[in-house]
Amino acid sequence: MSAAATTAGIGKRSELGFASAVILTVFWLLPIAILVMNALKTPKEFLLGSGLDLPTSFNLFGNLARAWAKGLGSGFVNSLIYGIVASVSAVILAALAAYGIVRLRIPRGLFWFLFIYSGTVFPFQMYLIPLFNMYLDTGLYDTRLGMIGFYVAITIPFCTFVMRGFFLTVPWQIQEAAALDGAGSWTTFWRIMMPMARAPLILLVLIQFTWVWNDLLFGLVLSKSDDVRPIMVALVGMQGVYGASDGPSVIAATLIGGAPTLILFLALQRYFIRGLSLGVGGR
Amino acid sequence: MMASTAYPASALTAQTRSARLLQRAQPFLYVLPAALFVGFFLIYPMVVTLWRSLTRSDGITPAVFIGLDNFRALFVDPHFLLSLKNTLIWTVASVILPVGLGLTLALILNRVRWAGFFKATIYLPATISAAAVGILFTFVFAYDNGALNGFLRGVGLGGLATRWLFEAPLNTFSMIAAYTWQQTGLNLMLFLVGLQGLSTEPIEAATLDGCTGFGLVRRIIVPMLMPFIVIATLLAVVNGFKVFDLIWVMTQGGPGRSSETLAVTMYREGFILFNQGYSAAIAVVISIAALGFSYFYLRSVLEQESHT
Repeated sequence: MSAAATTAGIGKRSELGFASAVILTVFWLLPIAILVMNALKTPKEFLLGSGLDLPTSFNLFGNLARAWAKGLGSGFVNSLIYGIVASVSAVILAALAAYGIVRLRIPRGLFWFLFIYSGTVFPFQMYLIPLFNMYLDTGLYDTRLGMIGFYVAITIPFCTFVMRGFFLTVPWQIQEAAALDGAGSWTTFWRIMMPMARAPLILLVLIQFTWVWNDLLFGLVLSKSDDVRPIMVALVGMQGVYGASDGPSVIAATLIGGAPTLILFLALQRYFIRGLSLGVGGR
Repeated sequence: MMASTAYPASALTAQTRSARLLQRAQPFLYVLPAALFVGFFLIYPMVVTLWRSLTRSDGITPAVFIGLDNFRALFVDPHFLLSLKNTLIWTVASVILPVGLGLTLALILNRVRWAGFFKATIYLPATISAAAVGILFTFVFAYDNGALNGFLRGVGLGGLATRWLFEAPLNTFSMIAAYTWQQTGLNLMLFLVGLQGLSTEPIEAATLDGCTGFGLVRRIIVPMLMPFIVIATLLAVVNGFKVFDLIWVMTQGGPGRSSETLAVTMYREGFILFNQGYSAAIAVVISIAALGFSYFYLRSVLEQESHT
């Protein structure tokens, strides 16, 4: 409503504005279009020609098959596991903690909240070296368990922040009614609170899956073998080894690696934009 | 359970006692798993980094306490100073370009048809990871068969074709261009949210007074958007200051160490050169700066929330 009024206030639809929006959008799409085009070429065609030459044949599936075998496949599967397991676990653990803090009134609740929330305050660089040493000492280095453990930990604080905000809004009568019916805190949590919290839970799983999927830094530091390293590390590794000799397969792999988060966004645009106003980026 | 074996004579009171104990322990059972994860994986490493920054350590031989020597060494280290300078370039550029462009676009898109399509397109790159964007733009900027040089040669400006990622400081600006491509959409969305929330009376009043077009934007709308501009700017500063993925993918901080930022220097010192103490000191410097920016960011977010 107010947007429409603003539009009227500024004046008539601006043709100049429209033209510049078209130009900028073309400019924005151009890199993707050119890269898709190059993902179709043969390695030789790519190497000898210019990036702007049109492909002479369709080799996307061949390029993808080579990329899949060279590390895209294992990275894709690894990150799918990490993203799903870590985001779901973190959201559940964070919901439990927020429930304990807000609804069960843990003594010194603010301390416990700030303790957990402090995990979002510091730049990642503060964790890297001791984490690497610790992982080497405990045998967690280069294991799937180690990757999942860290991804769960890094995503808990933001989830706790959001879930705490949610539980603060739930009326107390609901909990009292459940207690009168003889429901313990565990039953109340799973049967009453979690179903009510469906919207923020889904939003958090999406945000955190995207975060884990897009992570490069911790994958670089905490893993090395094909069986463990997440997708972004696998892609960067491929670029380093095959970037010069087999560009099309690296480009195709990168487009595939970027696709899941893009699809998630397109499918759930509404939720993401709501999430934007809720705390930009998060973790 | 322990209590009931300790007091077998009065089973009933023991039961209520253990029930009460359980009742009191209950909230902790909910909070502890999350707290343990955070404590083990985040807080403990953070404390160790603080300690490491005061030591000379290579991760193998025992660390030697050297006080603030690492920090003193940092500020005479040419690699660190160049890295600091690059980081400042990144920080300033990531405010001027993605935030400035995002604001301009939001003002334009607020009054053109097909705005939804334009919005989604500009936002599209923000959904892809920085690492993926880095790989894709490495191919755009490639010398022999890159799209950019291909275009320049195609339109007869072949003389301008250059090694975009191999000459400092050009490589930093090339990477900032890729960063702008990715980040503008995020700022655009933020400003559109801000524009939706503006009250219409001042705008209508100004229009009646004959204030239109650019003058209206500059004198009325931009001042009203100021809280959002401050938030977007501080967020861009925090993120620009910590940028790592894009640089690591596109130049690894090279050639030489010419395009490193603090996050890249920290990684190189810690994981390639194994100067763990020195690297930890850089991490502490990054943290202090980031915490400072975050403080102002949170303050303006909270102020904004208390207004609405």
